[in-house]
Amino acid sequence: MTNTALSIRDVRAAVGSTDILKGVDLEVPFGEFHAIMGPNGSGKSTLCHVLTGKRDYQVEGSAELGGVELLDKPVSDRARLGLMQAFQYPVEVAGVGLQEFLEEIADEQAIPENELEARLEAAAAEFDMQPFLDRAVNVDLSGGEKKRSEIFQMAVLAPKVAVLDEIDSGLDIDAVREVAEAVEAMRSPEMAVVMITHYSRILRYLTPDRIHVMMDGRIVESGGPELADELEDGGYEALRQRLGIEPSAGAPREKAASEYFTDTPFDI
Amino acid sequence: MQSRPSLPLRSETSDRLSAEVPDLMATSRRRGLDLFEKLDMPSSAEEVWRYVDLPFQLGDLELAPSPDGGLDDADDVAEALGATAGHATIVDGTVTDLQIQSSGADFVSLREAAAGYDGPGMDLLGTGVAPDLDVFSAAHHAFSHDGVFLRVPANCSLERPFYVDVQATAEGTVSFPHVTLLIEANAEASVVVGFRSPAGRFLVVNPQIEAFVGDGARLRLSTVQRFGYQTQSITHERVLIGRDANARLGEVGLGGRLGRMHIVLDVAGRGASTDLVGLFFGEQEQTLDYRLFMNHLGSNSSSDVFLKGAVEDEARSVFTGLVKIEKDLSKVSAFETNRNLVLSEGASAHSVPNLEILSDDVICGHGSTVGPLEEEPLYYLMSRGLSEARAARLLVHGFFEEVISRLPHPDLAGTVREAVNRKFVEAQREGRV
Ligand SMILES: Nc1ncnc2c1ncn2[C@@H]1O[C@H](COP(=O)(O)OP(=O)(O)OP(=O)(O)O)[C@@H](O)[C@H]1O
Ligand SMILES: [Mg+2]
Repeated sequence: MTNTALSIRDVRAAVGSTDILKGVDLEVPFGEFHAIMGPNGSGKSTLCHVLTGKRDYQVEGSAELGGVELLDKPVSDRARLGLMQAFQYPVEVAGVGLQEFLEEIADEQAIPENELEARLEAAAAEFDMQPFLDRAVNVDLSGGEKKRSEIFQMAVLAPKVAVLDEIDSGLDIDAVREVAEAVEAMRSPEMAVVMITHYSRILRYLTPDRIHVMMDGRIVESGGPELADELEDGGYEALRQRLGIEPSAGAPREKAASEYFTDTPFDI
Repeated sequence: MQSRPSLPLRSETSDRLSAEVPDLMATSRRRGLDLFEKLDMPSSAEEVWRYVDLPFQLGDLELAPSPDGGLDDADDVAEALGATAGHATIVDGTVTDLQIQSSGADFVSLREAAAGYDGPGMDLLGTGVAPDLDVFSAAHHAFSHDGVFLRVPANCSLERPFYVDVQATAEGTVSFPHVTLLIEANAEASVVVGFRSPAGRFLVVNPQIEAFVGDGARLRLSTVQRFGYQTQSITHERVLIGRDANARLGEVGLGGRLGRMHIVLDVAGRGASTDLVGLFFGEQEQTLDYRLFMNHLGSNSSSDVFLKGAVEDEARSVFTGLVKIEKDLSKVSAFETNRNLVLSEGASAHSVPNLEILSDDVICGHGSTVGPLEEEPLYYLMSRGLSEARAARLLVHGFFEEVISRLPHPDLAGTVREAVNRKFVEAQREGRV
């Protein structure tokens, strides 16, 4: 088996005639933890959704998980191959309990009941999720609780490749540390993590192997943890100047209002 | 097998049946007959019959003969309810069995009543649903010849439900089962009316349920309609709610080629309140049709309607809800919500909530939605590894859970949930959704 967990090659995505991803390349080996940073609207969430398989985009290129192509597969098959995205805006699912949902998944994936129970119990204790197990998925949860629920689901489902989209947005200071430590604790040679974040705060508690910067639909720079410090000091503008990138004409384009209404907007 | 001669819907038949029901109903019977002879079959050009096609003429049908036994199938509703305060079976409009377990209440068939019940409340019989609403109500008044009468006396509180199992079995006939409920002042009662019929038999059922909820009384009343696929049902329900009284209503509509519910709720007394929670699932070529009239007649009264439904294949659903708040009332609140899932391209849901407000001091709200399963939750569920079919099942189940968890009879939740899930799974298996 290849040692590359996630291999993204020249991925392009468009909605109608608008290009959003303009050729993304990214390699994440098993056991590693990568962060993606980038200005609002640069295409980070789009990359996550293209990997997960959201219908909205016309997609080109290739993305392999452990050597298996993802982009030609239905959403659920990608998850079964071991991909999980923690959503920037977790979706409310009326009338479906969190535990009920996880039981359905376990049933479909033939995870034995006692195995699921053990994982549920451990993860619920770790993330204080006991009170939420019987409540509907994400319904009436605070912004931070939704993020916690995403990490909790990740702990239960144990994906091979976890894509965490702004898992730290909307979390209070203590929660950021707890989540970061939990992700760090999940680190294993069988798993890879891609974390999208706007804050170097979370990177204090985690040591990313690589940091990538996305601008205008491309990864424009990759480096070690020192890249986060550079961004902290000079922002994206300084990086643009160093790399000699012209700010793209209309960017960053404003988000469609509907995107904000899918959920509480977080403190970006 | 037929113990009565043929019984067309004519005045001779009505006269002959008069002997079987209490005398007090004579006036309403005559009025019904007059109207029945005058009124035409409704046409879908009338607003209140819009979207409904009636493939029969009432005048062509005969009254069901005396039944020679009811359905043998297991009764899921009876099972779910467990021990009851009383239990009655009505087959083709005739009470075939009636038992009462609780002392304290009067629970009699109309025939027994005709033979000599002398308790109070009989004068209310037949006064709930107006005979001039439509030709069906008129026909019911003219030809109904049996049913049940429940009286729960003042201050009497009965925890266990009364269950009325309404069956229709005789092919090509029409039956007129009647249910009258009188819950006297400060009494408390629970009633479930179940409807069923065999799947492949064309027949027409025209039930009426009338409930009088006295001052300070509480009634929980659920109907569970699971008629067979070839049944045409037109049900009238009227509930009058007195001062500080409360009625919690549950309406579950699962079966019938036509399942029509015409419901009039009078939130009549000062401080009266009601909530109606309902759900329906229409499959194949079913029409499920809800016409709701909520009349606020008292100050400090409140109402809340919450109806959710799904339609698949070529099924059609209709909800028209008119909330009317009379003049010179204060502190009235009225809410009405109808949400519909349209699961197949050929299915349709029509939803028209309406308010007519003649007072100022009111809080009102109405909302309705019609649409397919939402993309975002479907995508979210699938992103965790559920197949699309399974994610859809979970969403449909979740959609209904909001009403199932609020039904006035929690004992019914399990069987209703199963029925709805089963219908959706079957639609999936047959490739209709
Ligand atoms: N389904 C869509 N339809 C139209 N435009 C879209 C769609 N999805 C994303 N976009 C647009 O693509 C661009 C990138 O959006 P994306 O959500 O990927 O940004 P992001 O980098 O995650 O930003 P943020 O940091 O604000 O979360 C934005 O201009 C956005 O409006
Ligand atoms: Mg984003």
